Amino acid sequence: MERHSGITKETLLNLKEKLKDGVLPQWVLADRDMYDLEIKQVFGKTWQFLAHESELKEPGSYVTRWIANDPILLTKTKSGEIKAFLNSCTHRGTLLCTADSGKQKSFTCPFHGWTYNNEGGLVGIAVGNKVYGEEMNKEDWNLRPVPNVDSYQGMIFGNLDPNAESLSDYLGNMKWYLDMMLGRSDGGMEVQGSPQRYVVEANWKVTAENFESDPYHVQFTHKSSKELGIAPNDPFFPGHGHQVVLDNGHGINLVQFDDTGVSPIPYQGMPESMWPMFQKNLNEAQNDMVKDTFFVGGVYPNLGFLQFSLPLLDSEPGLYNFLNFRVWRPLAPDKVEVWSWHLIDKDAPEEYKEKSYVTFLGTFGPSGLLEQDDAEIWSRVTQASNGIMAQNKDLSYNSFLNYLMGMDRVQPNEDFPGPGVAYPLCFLDTLSRSMHKKWIDLLLAESPVKEEVR
Amino acid sequence: MNQQEAVKTLTISYEVQIEITQFLYREAHLLDSRNYRGWLDLLAEDIVYQMPARITTEGKHDIPNIDYKSRYFEETKQSLITRVKRLDSTSSAWAEISGPRQRHFISNILIEKGVMNDEGNEEYFVRSNFLFKRNRGSALTSEELFGCREDVIRKENGEWRLASRIIYPDQTVLGTINLSMFL
Ligand code: FES
Ligand SMILES: [Fe+2]
Repeated sequence: MERHSGITKETLLNLKEKLKDGVLPQWVLADRDMYDLEIKQVFGKTWQFLAHESELKEPGSYVTRWIANDPILLTKTKSGEIKAFLNSCTHRGTLLCTADSGKQKSFTCPFHGWTYNNEGGLVGIAVGNKVYGEEMNKEDWNLRPVPNVDSYQGMIFGNLDPNAESLSDYLGNMKWYLDMMLGRSDGGMEVQGSPQRYVVEANWKVTAENFESDPYHVQFTHKSSKELGIAPNDPFFPGHGHQVVLDNGHGINLVQFDDTGVSPIPYQGMPESMWPMFQKNLNEAQNDMVKDTFFVGGVYPNLGFLQFSLPLLDSEPGLYNFLNFRVWRPLAPDKVEVWSWHLIDKDAPEEYKEKSYVTFLGTFGPSGLLEQDDAEIWSRVTQASNGIMAQNKDLSYNSFLNYLMGMDRVQPNEDFPGPGVAYPLCFLDTLSRSMHKKWIDLLLAESPVKEEVR
Repeated sequence: MNQQEAVKTLTISYEVQIEITQFLYREAHLLDSRNYRGWLDLLAEDIVYQMPARITTEGKHDIPNIDYKSRYFEETKQSLITRVKRLDSTSSAWAEISGPRQRHFISNILIEKGVMNDEGNEEYFVRSNFLFKRNRGSALTSEELFGCREDVIRKENGEWRLASRIIYPDQTVLGTINLSMFL
């Protein structure tokens, strides 16, 4: 087994043991060797969200994205197919397309002028015939495709691992919940504009876990929003509801407004005219969840989501629903670039969409009253995780992070109508432990032996 | 310029130039010194306060590169009051607790034109550049945001008020961990 210098198989097996006891050593949040290993074993092996289909409207549309350090060019071809390539010229490696998004049929590299079409084919070599003659087969020098690209409910993912399991298998029982969030309307969802991007000083595991599996932080990190009446001012909010542990480290919290289980604003505050459509597109259990709960969770490892209803900051009455997806792109052990998308049902009235967007800005956009405090606190975890005590790998200072909430105390709800293991409480570390278990399993995974091609 | 427009267009006097420049510096001072209540008083009741996103687009040097659909701020006076209220009257606005130090460097103030609006108030269309710097705790590096602003500055009952501001950042990936400041 090829292992990075500082981290052995034994180190990882020890981590796994600790996790069984409900703790995780703090050093994993700031260790360079660990980070390098994660880039290979986690980001190089898992399905990574690239774009929503509504970002690529017409043939010729493209967006550029990143899978950790790999620049990706995502195109829609003439026939409407979505393709993903390494955004790097095959001649000498130049970053091919520097724009964030656009529409064009071909991409010309500024270095020596090689040109590719949006299917990745090398279609033009500057003064090619004179210098390469007929001997060089152009097709050998097409753009390098991302080995696996697939989409589910409009969400486009790529996977750098040629031997990856299918997207469908990887998402597993998460699909049922994606259907619920993204498939409730006939027209599906659409993004509003380009994703917001900003950089926070945090380890990607901290941000991913914070979003997917830590409703517990809301009662204190976001206390100011409770005091202002933007979030429900119940000290236990958002503890009521279910935390659902899903396949492969995925998970969702179905948050109830209060302990009655009935939401005062049915269907997350979506216009009443749309309710019959939701009822038609969702099965009974999904319908009940959309009607009475809000969602926050994640697709492991680094795609977080939130489908919530909150008020506008300008005190206008009413709550507006939005779906926010965000990718935590790791830049360094202590740096994450946040990519954040606002989605809303295509079928919603235009005026509602705008209010939904503005509600998102005021709460969970980078200027949002809830979002602001998250970034500040994540950076504080980083600040305190780099020293001798926190980084000690022999664990002689008791430098463990606590994941004991609800452990062996809260039992699953056997009557829960959806897939996954559902616990009748959202203030729980069960999902966090599941995420970190998946993390260790990925770090421990041997590269499968590639069969020889004959 | 037709006749009606000619009547409405105002000459930009030295007094107006000095007053508007001082108004923008005063505004920056109120923000830097965290007198946010004082800052709110400078804003017209019907203020438009927006910050669209900058993106990189493919093409020549002067190709448009603002995505107006994607925004960072879309505020009304009331929503700005809510933001200030959070800082002033709650005990847990963590992003701004122990007040990070901030400076707004405002420059290149250019008054493009002045008009008399339908209510009979003078309005001036003003451009300026901003450089925002912020430092927290004992951090050795400071956060930075910069760009330009397009303002409409109005004279209401003899007082200058900010009637509209559009903030255009120059970074496509913001250089601050959040937007807990006003720009
Ligand atoms: S590196 Fe792109 S053409 Fe040479
Ligand atoms: Fe949060």
